Amino acid sequence: MSHGFDLDAAPAPLPRLAGNSALAMLARSLNWVNLQVLRLSMVALVLTSAVLTYSVATRYFFKTATDWQDEASVFLLVGAIFMCTAYVQSMRGHVGIEALATLLPASVNRVRATVVDIVSTLFCSFFAWKSWALFHEAWAEGQTTSSSFAPPLWIPYSLMAVGMSLLALQLLLQSVMHVAGGDGEGDAK
Amino acid sequence: MSELSIGLSYGAATLLVMFSGMPIAFALGTVAVTFMYFFMPASSLDTVTQNVYEEMASITLLSIPLFIMKGAAIGKSPAGQDLYSAIHAWLHKVPGGLGIANVFACALFAAMAGSSPATCSAIGSAGIPEMRKRGYSPGFAAGIIAAGGTLGILLPPSIVMILYAVAAEQSLGRLFLAGIGPGLLLVALFAGYAVVRARQEYKQALVIYQQGGPKSAYLIEEHFTLAQKVEMLPRVLPFVILLIGVMVALYGGLATPSETAGLGGLMALGLIAVVYGIWRPKDVAPILTSTLKESTMLMLIIGMSLLYSYVMSHLHISQGAAQWIVAMQLSKWVLLAVILLMVIVLGFFLPPVSIILMTAPIILPPLKAAGFDLIWFGVVMTIVMEMGLIHPPVGLNIFVIKNVAPDIPLKDVIWGVMPFVGLMFGAVFLLCLFPGIVTGLPNLVMGVK
Repeated sequence: MSHGFDLDAAPAPLPRLAGNSALAMLARSLNWVNLQVLRLSMVALVLTSAVLTYSVATRYFFKTATDWQDEASVFLLVGAIFMCTAYVQSMRGHVGIEALATLLPASVNRVRATVVDIVSTLFCSFFAWKSWALFHEAWAEGQTTSSSFAPPLWIPYSLMAVGMSLLALQLLLQSVMHVAGGDGEGDAK
Repeated sequence: MSELSIGLSYGAATLLVMFSGMPIAFALGTVAVTFMYFFMPASSLDTVTQNVYEEMASITLLSIPLFIMKGAAIGKSPAGQDLYSAIHAWLHKVPGGLGIANVFACALFAAMAGSSPATCSAIGSAGIPEMRKRGYSPGFAAGIIAAGGTLGILLPPSIVMILYAVAAEQSLGRLFLAGIGPGLLLVALFAGYAVVRARQEYKQALVIYQQGGPKSAYLIEEHFTLAQKVEMLPRVLPFVILLIGVMVALYGGLATPSETAGLGGLMALGLIAVVYGIWRPKDVAPILTSTLKESTMLMLIIGMSLLYSYVMSHLHISQGAAQWIVAMQLSKWVLLAVILLMVIVLGFFLPPVSIILMTAPIILPPLKAAGFDLIWFGVVMTIVMEMGLIHPPVGLNIFVIKNVAPDIPLKDVIWGVMPFVGLMFGAVFLLCLFPGIVTGLPNLVMGVK
């Protein structure tokens, strides 16, 4: 756990995609979206703390229980986490075991990194697809949580679906960059 | 395919995908979904996302990002250095007091921030130069901080313990309390070693000086006036009050663990705004960004680890492995030793969160059957995982120290932490002999289970 301390706090490397303006534009657009999502997630994080603190304060001072705070907090945090997955991936922040990468020759390592990105893209695309299906079902059937507050479940499911779709897109972009030879991550890892 | 074949294939596939370098979260998810496709009903694939959501939508688990925010807020402020300076001023007359001050500062900071690397960075950036200035050998200075930092995952609020509480279905409040006794034991062992080692180095410096050699900084007396000591308190006290306030809120029945996390996070942001003037969006944004980066990475691993465990359980792999371990009829302590050895080896490659969630379904039933208290085991397992933070090949804290004091050779840092690894082994041994060190406080505060 490294919270509060980033060993590598450098920003994501800008892709070298001078030869492909469409990819470069997609990368810039995705970076812009990721940054906006990050800002919204920051607000969600602080808001969750405020909601939980409000709950403690009202219970202590006014002896009134709030029935919505736990679920509001879960929705805010689950949303913030799934929505930020693409941003974290853009920074290569999802940790893996890199022991093999240091032992392989650069050319083999490049193939390894490409395959890893492609398989990750496939998994996240599958997860995104199933998340949209879950959202659709919750929306169509009017599903809610089982509490007395009973908020609609399409809210967190939609955030999960959008977040995982962004992640799949980010991974797809990184895979294409590997294949196009514009990322250089395979050697750097 | 037989259960054994499926289990072996599951393990082999996990190793293969993990060692390919794929991010742990995606690797676990990929293996789980692939085995669902081949060995479970087709309809189970439709429930993958619902499973992950339902596991993650636990308010206890979601306290993790808030505890991380609290740690990041305190970690990115100068609170660590102020805390260290104040303790040093008050303890400088005690023999080996500088080493003790560093251990105490690490423990207090760890309890406030809940993070090992953040503790190493915050206390080490002030403590290591000061210890070296006062004549401490570089390896010894680095060892004290690296080991002191590990207390971050043992003293409450510990993220590792939150996960263990969920995986082992144990009371989080009880686990947090159970970590305090062993935490204090480790503080005492580390501080005791610091005194002994500092006195040895002092004697060596004295002999060299008496033989006409250079005068080491060890031999120069330091003095703080009472006014200087008192001056240092106002910046530290609010954070100590935060630490006590959070504990009172949790154990006084005022707030649940997740509410405590929210309250602590907001109070930490408020305190750094008031005490250090860190309130502008551009100052707070790096704190929230690093919180979200780490929380997202961790929570995705947690979500996928839970999916991985679900598949393992549905295919009867975990039950089969647990029965196999029980059938070996190992003696109680051999069983514990084997399991702890496995945790150490896994710690070479995996972060504690994955170790807990992936192994809990396999190792906890045999341990329970052997008569071990699972709260006690959670604490012992955490101490063993603490060791992984300071010994190669991973040793995250070692690399944090290299970042804080780049001129200390890695070899010196590694040799400097080794005595502390030995002390942790000693602590585990003591906890086996005297389990009351773990269970005493929770039993006293919350009643006997």
